[in-house]
Amino acid sequence: MATPNIQLGDYIIIQRQKYTKLQKFGNIDATAQLGKEQLELNALLDQPYGSTFKMCVKESKAGKRGAQRQHTLKLCSETELRDIRAVLGISSSGEDNRDICDNGEAQALKSEDIEQLREECNESSKIIEKLVENSKTFHTRTEYSQEKYLKKKEKKYFEFVQIRLPSIRLMADIFYRQDAEKVMGIRVDTLSQIISYSGVCGFGNYLLYESGTNGLLPAAMLNSIGAATEATLVHMHPGNVPQKQALLALKLPLEQQQRCISVNLYSVLREFYQGEALPPIAGESSSLEDAVPESLATEPNSPTEPTSKKPKLDESECTNRSPLRWQLENKRACALMHAKFDCLVMAAKEHPSSILQALLPLLNSSRPIVIFSTCKELLLETYMELKTSGKVTNLHLTSNWMRMYQILPNRTHPEVNMSGNSGYLLTGYTLSSAEKTQE
Amino acid sequence: MSFLKPQTHIEKGDIVILYLSVNSMHAIEAVPTILNKKGETIPHIFQTPYGSLKVESIIGVKYGSRVELSKGWAHVLQPNPELWTQTLPHRTQIIYTPDISMILHQLEVRPGAVVVESGTGSGSLSHFFLRALKPTGHLHTFDFHDLRATQARDEFRKHGLESFVTVYHRDVCNLGFTSELDGRADAVFLDLPAPDLAVPHAFKALKLSGGRFCSFSPCIEQSQRCINALSKLGFNEICSMEVLQQENVVKTRTVPVIDLEFLKQPKSSSSEATKTPKELKKYLTSSNPQVLPGHTGFLTFATLPPNIAKT
Repeated sequence: MATPNIQLGDYIIIQRQKYTKLQKFGNIDATAQLGKEQLELNALLDQPYGSTFKMCVKESKAGKRGAQRQHTLKLCSETELRDIRAVLGISSSGEDNRDICDNGEAQALKSEDIEQLREECNESSKIIEKLVENSKTFHTRTEYSQEKYLKKKEKKYFEFVQIRLPSIRLMADIFYRQDAEKVMGIRVDTLSQIISYSGVCGFGNYLLYESGTNGLLPAAMLNSIGAATEATLVHMHPGNVPQKQALLALKLPLEQQQRCISVNLYSVLREFYQGEALPPIAGESSSLEDAVPESLATEPNSPTEPTSKKPKLDESECTNRSPLRWQLENKRACALMHAKFDCLVMAAKEHPSSILQALLPLLNSSRPIVIFSTCKELLLETYMELKTSGKVTNLHLTSNWMRMYQILPNRTHPEVNMSGNSGYLLTGYTLSSAEKTQE
Repeated sequence: MSFLKPQTHIEKGDIVILYLSVNSMHAIEAVPTILNKKGETIPHIFQTPYGSLKVESIIGVKYGSRVELSKGWAHVLQPNPELWTQTLPHRTQIIYTPDISMILHQLEVRPGAVVVESGTGSGSLSHFFLRALKPTGHLHTFDFHDLRATQARDEFRKHGLESFVTVYHRDVCNLGFTSELDGRADAVFLDLPAPDLAVPHAFKALKLSGGRFCSFSPCIEQSQRCINALSKLGFNEICSMEVLQQENVVKTRTVPVIDLEFLKQPKSSSSEATKTPKELKKYLTSSNPQVLPGHTGFLTFATLPPNIAKT
């Protein structure tokens, strides 16, 4: 797999040190906002993913909170990135901090001086060099403390960004960090286990119900289904338009994208049971956010067409589309529903019970079910219902504890903060209903 | 077979999971006869605490069905890496689903991926790698123990996975991953006592366009040495973590609510006659078991960025 080049219309990941951001490179004049810095993206076109670019100040405007800078990007090689300590040639350091006191006088440069320095210098190493030169205490700090200081300053003045191809791993991080609600609170460890327990792979037909993860869950499953395989995903959602941001960002081949069939839960179940293709009727949607009046026009989009996160914006452009698209998707989904699925994954904002009751009969026997919720009580009830029904065995309700570590010579310890809620997974395997008739 | 793709019915030669209870599962081979210790062909009878199972009788049965044992019943399930991990014959310590899931996610394994693994061990993780990368990817798995490598190779063949995996008997710390694999891997996974010794070989095996690296080690000193080796070679995005899964045991509890108010009143002679029944309240609860896994291993991940010169 050769590294692809950056194209217009791509979703890209902009990385500046540890900060990452998902951004659409919609047109040649597109810009991206990175804190106070605005980046012009035109230089990215046709460059390979993974390239590093240098931010060059184009203009600087005084803003409410410090200067707002606009930058152009210039392709550069990784060799320009060097260890700041080596660049500055720092040799002396102190033993401990007994002689250092925080009196606000350590830095001789004033904030105006630094701001001016920033305008003049294009390189963060120059700025940091000046800061170190003018710091009264730097050389009495311990080596570790110096490193921390340099890291902190480098983070502030770092002038390089890397452009990366979106992957599930990178997007799961970005979404969860920006707002865990965006992905219904599905933490990375839980996401990884949903994929494992569901058994989703290159063979089989998989069923997913989710009520809003910005496309992360269907994208993760479709990613595991893979390109040029025979597996298919039916993605049921409660709204007018499926959330597909993560799916579109993955830049999957068309044939693979088409094996994710996104359908409205109500519409497809009605067609499945009643054999008629009716659009979902207003008021039926349980989607919590969108109170958009429903019409034919706002039916599920094709995976190839970019979908806005806000369905409202899409309405106007949707009217031109063939009204048959959602009907075709429903038809395809119904055929698979009759043939039965090889797993069921659910991440619902609604109570899982009734949805599960509707979808469980669509599964083959001896197949995994995986139900996610951030709320344990909902899964406790569902656990009991399943246990009593005798339709599912090997039931487990699990949660996770995940801790990150700082591992550095002589400075190894768990990270100071950790995430407290992994969410809960209810897992089990379906049993053959044939035995019920025998009894 | 039976590991390759979803199947509805048990075929002869399948590995089948005989599910008795949450704590009692067995992987059995669906063959009518087996050889006994003397080398004679005898009917395949599997013994359980609930009596025996004539294995021939389950061939052709639908997966997920209930099967009768002489003193009870069980369910037959199609095996998958999760169930296999819980039933496989242990030749070494193995890695379990929570760690494995994180490994697959962080290594970005998907169909088409080329993965290098060392050591093979009992093949618990290998089965997960194979599910994730088949049918278009390939797993190269190394173990320095000859018998373990042979047993793993046999298992993969029996499970219908042999076309997606190559098993090597080789000491990778000293000899590396063979020159044929130079620049071929999307991801390298190490579970070795001294991962730092294999890091330079992992570096060589990863593609020029870059790739992902993971090392699993029980002790933090191993991770420290490994990270040291990774930093020297230009790996970035180095991070270490621990993932522990907790079971929530679901139970309905009925708790009595005792009345203490009546103690404030002097005992009246009529109280015995009007004795109210104890109030009971029912709760659906969950609690963690008494003993939980407190440590499995430290997972260290890293990225080899693209275009790093390998000479």
